[in-house]
Amino acid sequence: MFDEPYRWIDAIHQRRDYISAQLDRATPVLAVSVDEGIVLATFHRQTPKIFELYDRMVLAGVGHPADLESVRGHLLSMAHVEGFQRSPSDVTIERLALFGLAPRLKGAFEDVSVPPVILNVLLGEVGKNPTQDLLLQVSYDGNIFRSSSHTVLAADDDSRMKTTQLLSGLLPSCPTNLSAVLPVMGRVLFETLYSPEERGRDESGNLVDKDKAVECGEKILSERVWEGVLLDRQNPGRIRRLPADPGWFR
Amino acid sequence: MNPFERASFSGGASPTPRPGYLPDLLRSHSPEPFPSGPSLTGGSGLAGAIHGTTILAFHFSEGVLVAGDRRATASNRIMSNRVDKILEIDGSALLAISGSPAMALEMGRILDHSLKFYRRSQLAEISLEGKLRILAQLLKDNLPMAVEGIGAVAPLFIARDGETVRIYFYDILGAHFEGVEFSVGGSGSPEVQGILRFLDRWGEKSLRSLTRDEALLLSLRLLETASYFDSATGGVGGQDPIYPVIRILTPHSLDTVADEQIAALYRSEVMRVR
Repeated sequence: MFDEPYRWIDAIHQRRDYISAQLDRATPVLAVSVDEGIVLATFHRQTPKIFELYDRMVLAGVGHPADLESVRGHLLSMAHVEGFQRSPSDVTIERLALFGLAPRLKGAFEDVSVPPVILNVLLGEVGKNPTQDLLLQVSYDGNIFRSSSHTVLAADDDSRMKTTQLLSGLLPSCPTNLSAVLPVMGRVLFETLYSPEERGRDESGNLVDKDKAVECGEKILSERVWEGVLLDRQNPGRIRRLPADPGWFR
Repeated sequence: MNPFERASFSGGASPTPRPGYLPDLLRSHSPEPFPSGPSLTGGSGLAGAIHGTTILAFHFSEGVLVAGDRRATASNRIMSNRVDKILEIDGSALLAISGSPAMALEMGRILDHSLKFYRRSQLAEISLEGKLRILAQLLKDNLPMAVEGIGAVAPLFIARDGETVRIYFYDILGAHFEGVEFSVGGSGSPEVQGILRFLDRWGEKSLRSLTRDEALLLSLRLLETASYFDSATGGVGGQDPIYPVIRILTPHSLDTVADEQIAALYRSEVMRVR
């Protein structure tokens, strides 16, 4: 295979298709920088997707839980050894992503002789104020996507752009606080996971079936587990779990 | 092989890594935190080794108050009057250090990182027993330095246990016991220990019934008394505007008492001469 470039390229294409198909049904993770810190939200069915990584840092992943656990273990070790041997302030998500994660993901993706890593990763680092917050996405092929105010970790570029557009349209225009942003994130996830018809709405978004809307709102919280997390600017050594309000899902 | 398999632990002192145990991870990346080897001093200790302290912890109505003086000495020299000997551990516990600062501060760092690493990797808080064992293991690993006479550490560890806060004191070998009402450590501790025992037994109020202000004042007076008798206890007020470090751990909070509050109390209630 490796003597024939075409076959290698073909194998890479097939690998990309396979990973995309595996990631296809992943629920996105939303991340928004607010006055209080960085807030992340998603739903999961079986295993959590958002984790505390280090002081000031959070990790989220969509993909295979076992791959997420391997990457999480690798980054946890890297961050804690670096932070202990040097200083916690020397640990940054930029270094973790550039030197610890991206090269390994790229290597794993291009080595067609080993099983692929089915995972897209989001790293968040809270700064002293919202302008210093950083959000980095590392995709399964090692590419890095950088943002600061808000982002969406999704299965692929299309769904990321689509959900980001929805989120951007609903978010307040200036830096804002947690209480204003969290309901918006809940609503975006609700609209991403269920079609207008399932939510009792017509194609323009008008409510046409109230009972269906209530039923769908109850379904999302019974079938899935809400994950809301605040990486607190004032207390960045420990993430805070945020409960959901059923009123967001109507 | 999965490219993200955890770092190899082979070659370390511990052949089977313990999940979430940071010292095992560190051993795979660096030399032993507390190496044991041939004697550096012939067993006589180093004349200039830094030590000398008074640390104390006692229960009061809200939780546990932990206080320490600020002085580090080497033989008869004052090396510093600004040492913080009451270390915050993972924002939920306190380590009051007495003995060799080099070893004690390193133990504090390892303990702090260990509790965070455990919580983040295992997705659960480590138990109180687990915390006590990590510190005991660190002290045990430090035994060669302790018997050399240059690295002995005898800390107090104060941590939450559900809705209560508990005080533990350690010896240099890692044995630990609960100080039910109070514990003290360091060269200035005998006087403090006697006073605390007396007050708790025959004082107007038991230690546990003291208010926050009363507990604060008592801790300042105890440290001032210790510094009167023990030359290695200092940095507790007086000519320089340096005051003890006082931290308060309750079941729901961890506060550091502000220098301004201590200074005001010191001037009005401790400096007063009959």
